[in-house]
Amino acid sequence: MTDHQYQTRSKGGVFSGMDRDYFSDDSIATDNSDYADGYLDGDDAFESNRGSAKSKAKKPQKKSSQRQKKSSNETLNMLAAKDQSFLRDVHTDAPSDFVPDVVSGLFKSNDFSYLKLKPDHASRPLWISPSDGRIILESFSPLAEQAQDFLVTIAEPVSRPSHIHEYKITAYSLYAAVSVGLETDDIIAVLDRLSKVPVAPSIVNFIKSATVSYGKVKLVIKHNRYFVETSQADILQMLLKDPVIGTLRIDSEGNAANEASQDKNSKVDNNENKKPVDPNDVEAVFSSVVGDNDIDDDNDDIDAVHAFEIANASVEIVKKRCQEIDYPVLEEYDFRNDHRNPDLDIDLKPSTQIRPYQEKSLSKMFGNGRARSGIIVLPCGAGKTLVGITAACTIKKSVIVLCTSSVSVMQWRQQFLQWCTLQPENVAVFTSDNKEMFQTESGLVVSTYSMVANTRNRSHDSQKVMDFLTGREWGFIILDEVHVVPAAMFRRVVTTIAAHAKLGLTATLVREDDKISDLNFLIGPKLYEANWMELSQKGHIANVQCAEVWCPMTAEFYQEYLRESARKRMLLYIMNPTKFQACQFLIQYHEKRGDKIIVFSDNVYALQEYALKLGKPFIYGSTPQQERMNILQNFQYNDQINTIFLSKVGDTSIDLPEATCLIQISSHYGSRRQEAQRLGRILRAKRRNDEGFNAFFYSLVSKDTQEMYYSTKRQAFLVDQGYAFKVITHLHGMESLPNLAYSTARERRELLQEVLLKNEEAAGIEIGDDADNTVGRGAHSNKRVKSKAVRGEGSLSGLAGGEDMAYLEYSSNKNKDLKDHHPLIRKMYYRNLKK
Amino acid sequence: MPRARKGALVQCDPSIKALIVQIDANRNDIILEELDDTHLLIDPTKVDFIKTELNRLLSQNIYDPLDEEDNP
Repeated sequence: MTDHQYQTRSKGGVFSGMDRDYFSDDSIATDNSDYADGYLDGDDAFESNRGSAKSKAKKPQKKSSQRQKKSSNETLNMLAAKDQSFLRDVHTDAPSDFVPDVVSGLFKSNDFSYLKLKPDHASRPLWISPSDGRIILESFSPLAEQAQDFLVTIAEPVSRPSHIHEYKITAYSLYAAVSVGLETDDIIAVLDRLSKVPVAPSIVNFIKSATVSYGKVKLVIKHNRYFVETSQADILQMLLKDPVIGTLRIDSEGNAANEASQDKNSKVDNNENKKPVDPNDVEAVFSSVVGDNDIDDDNDDIDAVHAFEIANASVEIVKKRCQEIDYPVLEEYDFRNDHRNPDLDIDLKPSTQIRPYQEKSLSKMFGNGRARSGIIVLPCGAGKTLVGITAACTIKKSVIVLCTSSVSVMQWRQQFLQWCTLQPENVAVFTSDNKEMFQTESGLVVSTYSMVANTRNRSHDSQKVMDFLTGREWGFIILDEVHVVPAAMFRRVVTTIAAHAKLGLTATLVREDDKISDLNFLIGPKLYEANWMELSQKGHIANVQCAEVWCPMTAEFYQEYLRESARKRMLLYIMNPTKFQACQFLIQYHEKRGDKIIVFSDNVYALQEYALKLGKPFIYGSTPQQERMNILQNFQYNDQINTIFLSKVGDTSIDLPEATCLIQISSHYGSRRQEAQRLGRILRAKRRNDEGFNAFFYSLVSKDTQEMYYSTKRQAFLVDQGYAFKVITHLHGMESLPNLAYSTARERRELLQEVLLKNEEAAGIEIGDDADNTVGRGAHSNKRVKSKAVRGEGSLSGLAGGEDMAYLEYSSNKNKDLKDHHPLIRKMYYRNLKK
Repeated sequence: MPRARKGALVQCDPSIKALIVQIDANRNDIILEELDDTHLLIDPTKVDFIKTELNRLLSQNIYDPLDEEDNP
């Protein structure tokens, strides 16, 4: 028992003494150090080990990238510091005449009874913790829906199950709120309206301190000239007196709109702002909650804009200086007045329907007739693409879309053509095999991050395209799946491509290492985050029943489990015969119901074992493209094929609207994001309008093993989104299943022997072809495949079949491959090959 | 000559039995007799020790979000 270690607790300490082969994998991801240390996602255990295994080789790069990151982190640190100080100076605000009652002592510093309940507290849905800014919301209150809209804007959603929601006010979320146009006083007034008790002074102070400087200064590009704008005269005065910024001001006759005379400019803005407000907009919430009192006055106040112009060259300096004096600039793009960049003829087709939440998210982006940069978070399958397209149609300038893989490049292109009036000749695709650009003066380019961020030698063609991309101004850039992209890569993309507005799209803004906040400064604040539960209630995404199935380890397996090293343990709990039986039972059960089932396994060895034993088709990283398409098409249209096994490759890139049931047999440690992405595979379920639960998500877990730990950790994100995981300890009727696998002790022992004979490499997770890794690999994946194919082949005559030996070897390998498959599969997929 | 020994009968899942066997492996003074997959006869004085030890081992498999917040 002395060597009894759990890698979860000792974060990475366990793996260090182990076979390095796994980490020094030959995947391209690791030999390009730029990408390797920047992966935005990854499990803690996994990630830190990768780091430690390679730390030596990578040191120089790490240092430099840290230096790079510093600038964005500064602001971040400032925010964090604000949060910290907020936590510290709490306990001072109990009024002096407050008399603690008998039980106060029990609550120590958490006694907030000095905040008296308001007489009509029952109808107010909020309570805000004075000590840490947590907001508890009664989501069953009639006011809850409006309160939610407001809270999503000013606070981070922490947990949103069905009855009580939890939010948290942070300096950062307030910054985001300010950037969509909320004022300090409005925020406090609305909170006070909604709160059951008076808003504690600590909270008020916090909001004031966090919002006083943010978003007050805007950098606006009009007619391709840069203006620094602010709504408060004194701030402008201060900026002009600043030794750095003041000297950079340009006095141009047409724009003497400084604090002395609010002339043309502010009037133009006034008109713009008076445009009818979208009913879903925050303002509307105010008026409904706050009442109509001084909203109008407020608006007038905001609209009085004071501005001065600065030279294009000095933009960077001004931005930096503003950051230093604690007045970070907000960047806005006044696309309607941008006449320098040619308009793009793009509009939504009349048949295109935008769902209310998509509209709401866009209204946050185009709050006052200008486009601001930011991130929109919507669940998988909720139509992120359409949001991006609609935004592009609003801005009507040249658009560039960056996504993670060439598959999604084609999907974006196709979606653009499907939903809007864009002509195919205006659409260009920039991938490793397609480098044509549009010939018109404005258009759309779809590409991948790795194509654009590549710093190594390019071919002549792609260099030409890059020059094209960097040589012009883009109205709008869409960054798809922002959570997977390394920060360093982002910085390169953002700096090389001059785009006025940036929109990041993602489903899961979580990572295990909290680096997600880097994104906020590279792209912009989070503009909108949808509530999963609400969307599924309204039928926009499937209603999913989640279950965790506990499979007890058999005695033999558990004994070995206790004896083995951490890596091998994983193999043992994945190959647990009870788990296999549970999987078999669930597949049979759901196939009878007529469900289409996807089984996920991160472990390729287990994937193959399971799939072959059950006679189901499977796809993993090394499955050739042709075979993949074949299997996927059969899964979609052939009612004989109702189950497929997928490795990590299926996590994000494969779109299967038919799937209604998902079984997970092994996973990437405690990655919350993977869990959410996998769930996303069935959220598009076609029959989503059936009564009751119509999609199923099972996670098979071996009892009393580390898997239990990971499983709970993985679920955290979905639980916070309001999903309830049902625990199934026993599958009724599993024992009586005919032809149940591993039902005899002898079979189980044989399996155990087989598993034990496997070396540790088999326990590894596929170094894979999923979204985590494709970014930064994408273009190079061919290389890897190629090297594999070349290995073992002989001379030219050998390739031509001239040499017996080589030819024999080749064919025998292939045969073995065939035998491994179920006869049905063989018949279907290999007939052509045999000919 | 038959010999009588006092023992505590433990009934548990096969996996827990494996854990107890594992605990016993280093010391050899706990298990008196392994009866079958789910039953063990153990030294009655060691019952408390086994309990705490099992709790310790099993709690390592439980994820507690609060735990993580406390020591990040």
